[in-house]
Amino acid sequence: MAPHGDESDGGGEAAIVIEAEKRPISTIVIVIAMQTEALPLVNKFQLTEDLDSVFPKGVPWVRYHGVYKELNINIIWPGKDFTFGVDSVGTVSASLVTYAAIQTLQPDLIINAGTAGGFKAKGACIGDVFLASSAAFHDRRIPIPVFDLYGVGLRQAFSTPNLLKELSLKAGKLSTGDSLDMSQQDEASIIANDATIKDMEGAAVAYVADLLKVPTIFVKAVTDIVDGDKPTAEEFLQNLASVTAALDKAVTEVVDFINGKCISEL
Amino acid sequence: MCSDVREIQTEKQTATMAPHGSNGGGEAMLPQSEKSPISTILIFIAMQNEALPLVNKFQLKEDLNSVFPKEVPWVRYHGIYKDLNINITWPGKDLTLGVDSVGTISASLVSYASIQALQPDLIINAGTAGGFKAKGACIGDVFLASYVSFHDRRNPLPRRDLYGIGMRQAFPTPNILKELNLKVGKLSTGNSLDMCKQDEALITANDATVKDMEGASIAYVAELLKVPAIFVKAVTDIVDGDKPTVEEFLQNLAEVTASLGQAVSQIVDFINGKCISEL
Repeated sequence: MAPHGDESDGGGEAAIVIEAEKRPISTIVIVIAMQTEALPLVNKFQLTEDLDSVFPKGVPWVRYHGVYKELNINIIWPGKDFTFGVDSVGTVSASLVTYAAIQTLQPDLIINAGTAGGFKAKGACIGDVFLASSAAFHDRRIPIPVFDLYGVGLRQAFSTPNLLKELSLKAGKLSTGDSLDMSQQDEASIIANDATIKDMEGAAVAYVADLLKVPTIFVKAVTDIVDGDKPTAEEFLQNLASVTAALDKAVTEVVDFINGKCISEL
Repeated sequence: MCSDVREIQTEKQTATMAPHGSNGGGEAMLPQSEKSPISTILIFIAMQNEALPLVNKFQLKEDLNSVFPKEVPWVRYHGIYKDLNINITWPGKDLTLGVDSVGTISASLVSYASIQALQPDLIINAGTAGGFKAKGACIGDVFLASYVSFHDRRNPLPRRDLYGIGMRQAFPTPNILKELNLKVGKLSTGNSLDMCKQDEALITANDATVKDMEGASIAYVAELLKVPAIFVKAVTDIVDGDKPTVEEFLQNLAEVTASLGQAVSQIVDFINGKCISEL
């Protein structure tokens, strides 16, 4: 096992890990919270729904998979809630689905893709697609030393300087919370997080990926301007279709860029 | 978990869901396994100092050959106590920051993984909580939750709003309530220890007596995987009182944890030897 670069730790586990990172990325998992966000990509990559599910009986989670160029692509959608019939959005579903997907599929890379709110004060516009530099929570306030940091749960995205350089993606910090709207406390925490974009899953996916040590990136397309004049829900619904198309295009470019590369080349 | 019947493959025909409130009359329709005594229970506890008194009481041992992936901090204690296989799972200390992994994400992950590995007949989520004096809560009270909801997942769109609230009924246990000195009340869950105005409005809308940081997410997972779940919450602080939450919580934690331990112990003793329908 040749050491990587000028590392001289030679044999053992470190060398095995380094060797693995010299192999091209083989399996990716794309976590997408809403069916409307997922289906264009499922079609684009010509994936098929996994009917012999890798997930436990009783969960609504859906896996679409197939081979695209040299990649095993899995799109994981948490499905429709059995009781309420809506997409299982939010941090609890996202963390469960990410955990289960990592356990069964052992991906080399996770991409959390989806729509988000953007802050015009931080330069976001409708239709922009961001690659998050980091993810943090804004709705987990625990005002006890160290617990406060745990609540915020700031994590860096896997660093992908080449990806950012090659594609027309903006970079910005992502803030996550379980509410579509934004209370004053949420706003204060989002500002403290210095976030440009706001979603409902990212920091939860980051938490699980960090636990299980899987590199993760976040691709978020802006459907509504949070610090703008229009009410969020209205603007979000209005722009969802067109922005989903922009998201689709961006994720396809990201996947095409990833194809054939090792994790360190991103 | 709000259903009376657990979906299990048996040779007999699968029972239909008995309507709520008609537990007694539905017994003939229960799957065979529900006529046998509860064998394996899972107790999920978010904080180490809430867990350890019970670990000691039941003389459980830490599982060193973990049923969980090697990377996670989650801890399982287990052992036999009377006729029960008891498992206490605790999400452990955050690997970066070293504090208990409180909140809904850890709780849902650990519950999911624990159910997968251990296949319990019943889940008990035990822990401390804030209480509302306007709803009759006092420091040291131990509540059995009737319903569990979220108060910090606001989605102002039709049906998504209800999804966010995620109200679920705890598994009904009228006999436990009758036998033991527990109060009943609705539980509201959120990821913040404090309470902003929006949270307060939703907690009020949830008609909650007690407020915690994990319950509703465990209810969600338990329902997905069809495992009956109950929620035992001991009050450390009065949310609508004069003292600041954090101060009051820290002040009362040790003593209330002891009351919690006692209550859970009594519940486990009551459960021992009974079927799920006898609770």
